[in-house]
Amino acid sequence: MNRVLLLILFCMLSFGIHAQTFSVSGTVSEDETQMPLPGVNVVVKGTTNGVITDFDGNYSIDNVSQGDVLVFSFIGYTSKEVNITNQDAINVVLSVDSQALDEVLVIGYGAQKKRDITGAVSNVGAETISKLEPVNAAQALQGTTSGVNVTPTGGSPGAESNIRIRGISTNGQNKPLIILDGFQYEGGLNSINPQDIENITVLKDAQAAIYGTIGANGVILVTTKAGRKNQKAKISYEGYTGIQETTRKLPVLNATEYALILNESYANAGQSLPFSNIGNLGAGTDWQDEVFQEALVTSHNLSVVGGEEKITYSIGASNLKQEGIISPEKSQFERSTAKITLNADLTDKLNIQTKLFYNSTESSTVNSFSLGSVLFNAANIAPTIDPSISNLDGQINLGNEVVNPLTQLDNTYNKYITNRLSGTVQASLDYARNLNLKARIGFNTSNTKNRDFTPKFNYGTGKIYTNANSSVTLGKINDNDYTFDLFNTYENTFADDHDVTFLVGMTAYETNGEGLFGSRTGVQANSWKFADLSSANGAGEEQTNSSYSYKLRRLSYFGRIQYAFQDKYLLSAMLRRDSSTKFGPNNRVAYFPSATAGWVISEENFFNEDGFLNFLKLRGSYGILGNDQIPDFGYLSLLNGEATYVLGQEQLLVNGRALGQLANPDLQWEEAKKFDVGLDANFLNSKFEFTVDYFINKRDNLLIPNIPVSGIYGVGAPGSASPTINAGSVKNSGWEFALSYNNKFSDDFSLNTSFNISTLENEVTQVNGTEFIEGGNFGVGQPLISRMEEGKPIGYFYGYKTDGIFQNQAEVDAHPSQLALGAEAMPGDIRYKDLNGDGVIDNKDRTDLGNPIPKVTLGFNLGFNFKNFDFATYMFSNLGNDIVRNYERDQPNVNKMSYVLDRWTGAGTSNTVPRVTTAATANKVFSDFYIEDGSFARIQTVSLGYTIPSEFTQKVSIDKFRIYGKVDNVYTFTDYSGYDPTASTGAPIGGGIDLGFYPLPRTYMLGVNLEF
Amino acid sequence: MKINIKKNIILAAIAASLGITSCGDDYVEVDPPYGINSDSYFTTEDDYYNALIGTYDILQSTYVNVILGEIASDNAHAGGESATDVIGWQQVDRMQHTPVNDNLNDIWDWNFAGVYRASFVLENADNIDFEGKSQLLAEAHFLRAYFNFELLKWFGPIPIKPEGRFTLGEAQTIPRASKSEVYAFIEQDLAYAEENLAVDAPEVGRVTKGAAQALLGKVYLYQDKFSEAATELQKVISSGKYHLYGTQGNEDYDNLFEYSAENSAESVFEIQYTGTQGAGFECLQCSEGNVMVGFSGIRGYAGPVFESGYGFNLPTAEAYNSFEDGDLRQDVSVLDIEAWAAETGATYNIGNQDEVTGHTGYYNRKYLPRQNDNLGDANLTQPNNYRAIRYADVLLMAAEALNRGGIDDAQARAYLNMVRDRAGLAPVEDSGANLTEQIYMDRRSEMIGEGHRFFDLVRTGRAEQFIDGFTTGKNEVFPIPLEEIQFAQGNWDQNAGY
Repeated sequence: MNRVLLLILFCMLSFGIHAQTFSVSGTVSEDETQMPLPGVNVVVKGTTNGVITDFDGNYSIDNVSQGDVLVFSFIGYTSKEVNITNQDAINVVLSVDSQALDEVLVIGYGAQKKRDITGAVSNVGAETISKLEPVNAAQALQGTTSGVNVTPTGGSPGAESNIRIRGISTNGQNKPLIILDGFQYEGGLNSINPQDIENITVLKDAQAAIYGTIGANGVILVTTKAGRKNQKAKISYEGYTGIQETTRKLPVLNATEYALILNESYANAGQSLPFSNIGNLGAGTDWQDEVFQEALVTSHNLSVVGGEEKITYSIGASNLKQEGIISPEKSQFERSTAKITLNADLTDKLNIQTKLFYNSTESSTVNSFSLGSVLFNAANIAPTIDPSISNLDGQINLGNEVVNPLTQLDNTYNKYITNRLSGTVQASLDYARNLNLKARIGFNTSNTKNRDFTPKFNYGTGKIYTNANSSVTLGKINDNDYTFDLFNTYENTFADDHDVTFLVGMTAYETNGEGLFGSRTGVQANSWKFADLSSANGAGEEQTNSSYSYKLRRLSYFGRIQYAFQDKYLLSAMLRRDSSTKFGPNNRVAYFPSATAGWVISEENFFNEDGFLNFLKLRGSYGILGNDQIPDFGYLSLLNGEATYVLGQEQLLVNGRALGQLANPDLQWEEAKKFDVGLDANFLNSKFEFTVDYFINKRDNLLIPNIPVSGIYGVGAPGSASPTINAGSVKNSGWEFALSYNNKFSDDFSLNTSFNISTLENEVTQVNGTEFIEGGNFGVGQPLISRMEEGKPIGYFYGYKTDGIFQNQAEVDAHPSQLALGAEAMPGDIRYKDLNGDGVIDNKDRTDLGNPIPKVTLGFNLGFNFKNFDFATYMFSNLGNDIVRNYERDQPNVNKMSYVLDRWTGAGTSNTVPRVTTAATANKVFSDFYIEDGSFARIQTVSLGYTIPSEFTQKVSIDKFRIYGKVDNVYTFTDYSGYDPTASTGAPIGGGIDLGFYPLPRTYMLGVNLEF
Repeated sequence: MKINIKKNIILAAIAASLGITSCGDDYVEVDPPYGINSDSYFTTEDDYYNALIGTYDILQSTYVNVILGEIASDNAHAGGESATDVIGWQQVDRMQHTPVNDNLNDIWDWNFAGVYRASFVLENADNIDFEGKSQLLAEAHFLRAYFNFELLKWFGPIPIKPEGRFTLGEAQTIPRASKSEVYAFIEQDLAYAEENLAVDAPEVGRVTKGAAQALLGKVYLYQDKFSEAATELQKVISSGKYHLYGTQGNEDYDNLFEYSAENSAESVFEIQYTGTQGAGFECLQCSEGNVMVGFSGIRGYAGPVFESGYGFNLPTAEAYNSFEDGDLRQDVSVLDIEAWAAETGATYNIGNQDEVTGHTGYYNRKYLPRQNDNLGDANLTQPNNYRAIRYADVLLMAAEALNRGGIDDAQARAYLNMVRDRAGLAPVEDSGANLTEQIYMDRRSEMIGEGHRFFDLVRTGRAEQFIDGFTTGKNEVFPIPLEEIQFAQGNWDQNAGY
């Protein structure tokens, strides 16, 4: 530590230089319009001496001397440098930057011009976000950034998205780090108002190493809109409203088809037929029509940005209301946000920035994406049942799990409210020439309130949803964290050619929180209206309460040096020392080094920038990042297991104490080793930009929570769990290509389009202590189907390979016995391959049946402006991922998917779909019969806008008035038979299993953008 | 002045950084908030009691030993919704089980969890001294012996560690002890328990001296150590603490398996369950209810007395018909669902219709769910206590030990006839091998539905004769779960034949 302090102190020594000085002033104007340009940065090169142009584009700068260079820079415009030769006024005209290479991107503890960046970075700007106008900001990354895969967890309003940067590296936490305006943000992208966002930058490679311990999964840097200096207040309003509908219904049987198929399946088992009269059944109930409805979405956003000479500010507020397409009154999401930012130059040297974000979300949800979800019930309940029948006693027996989905919706009552305040305060001091010290505190504090009510209700005998008593459960959770950063930057140019930036700093992080839960039975009047503990009168042990609390800290020191020679050779190196409470004293501290390098070939003398190629950069990076995102205190053995027994004549519950999760005192840091090499090129007058990257991400010492260990360690006990162990290695590698084309053909017509394609190969390279780790449920009571195993992709599907259908008894006799799978085969049953050739089909014949990881992802965007019209469309595609159909309940009387109409009914009738029967068969074991190709291409957005010419709008003091129409989730091209080929829980082991995914809605929207 | 402000800010910034960094890595030394660290536990008498409750807790998960013991035997079909419902049970019913079997893995994991928690208490036996410590320790010894005996019954030789808990890595270093070593370890634990346990439990539901004697007698009987077995079992009989329910006061034999006869004078050791706490499928071993009961319930049942369930563990027609005419135990033990439906108008569904594992028309009445107000998931929280060691069992084991050991047929007959008398049957006059056969027959009729039959057949060498698909030399024990073989990395061999 002392060394670090010394460094800081060393850097604080000021380098005083004295010379003859005078003042220079002038005006900056805009090339195209010749209008004065306010807010332009005017800086004496290599110093912190700078001013901002005022409302009229005027500036005046003191303390300059002959030979100094003035740099005029403004976002979106090409910077200009002017030598000071005398004290005359210097007037400058800035033109729009077509190359965008001077665009400044935030890279973590600093910003860099795009041309100087040596890491693999993807970027989404405000324009894309405003065209996409996503409900959830995560959607803005989908298809627009290479190497980033975004999969929504469902179409339920307010559903979060799983974001995976360059694949799945661990079966622990795969979520990337979100940095909001410089501080660690824990609220998830869905809680950020998309319209507040100026820019999203994704750090995909070792460049993320500056975030060390938490950057292993990649980093998403979100920068919000801010005012500019000397900008007059700009008031904006954006609003839209839309109608959502389902994109798809599962093809299920109607009542007549259902009855015929059921009769056939009973007859095939030699049992009496359940339906004697089929003639009058008709189509029956279409349960999906019953549960899907049209639903509304509405959003308003109001913001003000502006600035004075020393101050910039922004304020904003938004509200979003979204209903679900399943029962809009029971599934809702409302998000309200407010933000205020203030940036003030207190003195020439001292700047203070503060940003506060408040958001409040309120949601209610219906049971989705699980066995027993509303859609699962809608797909499986018999079409012969009338929708008004809520108690299924006396109806055809559908087993204990399937109930009327409408009744289930009626009995769904819950509300989740989260209020979050996040913010940052930063002081920045240019305490000496070339030296800057920043101190920053970021914080998040959130309060979550849950209320769940389950009414007393009888769905029918034996139904698992039947509640003999009403109950209410309340939960209150408080989560807090703070990040304190202190870092010092030294920036200088030596001998005109050597640009050096040197950063040292430290970060201290703490998160803590607690949760409190209680539940009671006997709710007054069996009603949501009285669903509170205070109004429930259940007695005795039916009342429960619980709580938890946690505290975690990290402490890090880091240093980074960035060096550029003649803007040609770029180099940066970084070292970080991290310590975390997640590990025991012996393994707490770790060092993580990384380095990046770039060669701007186009700066070489031999390169002709005016030829075909206008810019060319080769870059590479390698680094080691840490990961500690595992359950807390895994190295300690705590008494937090369950220890409840029943004692005494009164048979009362007695609570004792028992060991919880098995401790692993040897836990150590997981290491992410990231290698990337890439090339950036601009060509044809920089109208084309091309980027290619090849990467290898290797995770070693993979921290896997709950890794299976021998039962002799007591991990099977209630409340106990397997330990977290450094249990293996996973490798992801792939290519990423991105190509974009921007051209302004005339004042009336401009076009931009981009295309990206990423490949991904995932391989588990090592599993310690056990041959494989399992996950992923299929059906009821069947073995787990997903595995992590050496040499295979993580979470691959493991089951039987089918080989057509037995057409006759001779074929059955000629084949090894399938008895071990549940029943001897009959003609019409699925034939499984005897892969190990031992003459019997049993669990040793299971094999790799595919995996849920897309091998290739593509994105395509096209936009153009013609006169006052603007058009944009966004598409993306996943190829080569497999998906498991797991929404069909294995029960004789439930409804079936319409593919059974093509079933085997005699020799030669079908070689793909087995016979129907209620007798025991081996057709329901997990095989490739249940796996489908999940490849798809989706037209995500098509939008068309019209901006009313400003000559009309300015008469009513409106600077901009745009109206637009937009369709989201327009169409999906896929062969998958389920609701949505993106269906996945996102679990690394057990993902890609479709339990009746809540489909993403298609939305038709109308909106307006106003600026004053 | 301006310079001063600047200096002050710099100083403040440095001070702020010092404030955090001066403590350096102390900053990340954080204790789990409100957490109880096991390294500093066992400092009060309560700590021992509480850890012991944690050990008792695991007894509730032994429901699976009972139901799967029944399914494995010739008493019952697996049942369930279909021939693949809980595939591991279906395979055991067909005697086609392999090392890949989640349900056998549960038995391994849960019983070893019991051993682990008991060992946690016992390895801290010397931490502090207090009055009554030997009673608490004796209970822990009993429980460790109980779980180890279950493991021995199911898997044969198992790893043991008398000094305490297994620690990570020992699966690869501690071998499976031979059966005789495991038996010796169990006997040692039970000897301590017998010596130190009170005759009357401090609370209903905790173990007694009688329970330790009965279990020790049973452990001897499993080794054909007839005279030791008889001695221990007769200690229980002569204690005068127990009698057959229905033979005294206003007791009615029909109620033996009803709630009203829980912890009765027939109960030597009883595992306690309640329905006052909810449970879910994600953690069956966490339930405070008897999961076996809901799983044994009649599918889709609507009618009097009982509640519905999942229709597993279906007694076979052969088992139902194996009772002697007039045996009161037949209808207390087995429910003939067609007769019951005809009598009461009850309705029900039929699930699995497979010939070998499916519907039989009979249900395990001893452990059917009775109508009650247990919390959800009601199928998992049935409150029926499991009578792990009944006095009738003790009498029959004593009779068997006396008879098969050639010790005293008259006394053996007397014990057997006590049990028969309660069942409304005439006394038998047999002796020698005929008496043995009669004891075996009555043992099946008396103990059906309670999970003992498979192990009785195995220990008396009659399993292949009665159980379809049973292979002598293989099926006496179940396979060590494949996962465990893999965890041991060559340290443990698989049982023969698997």
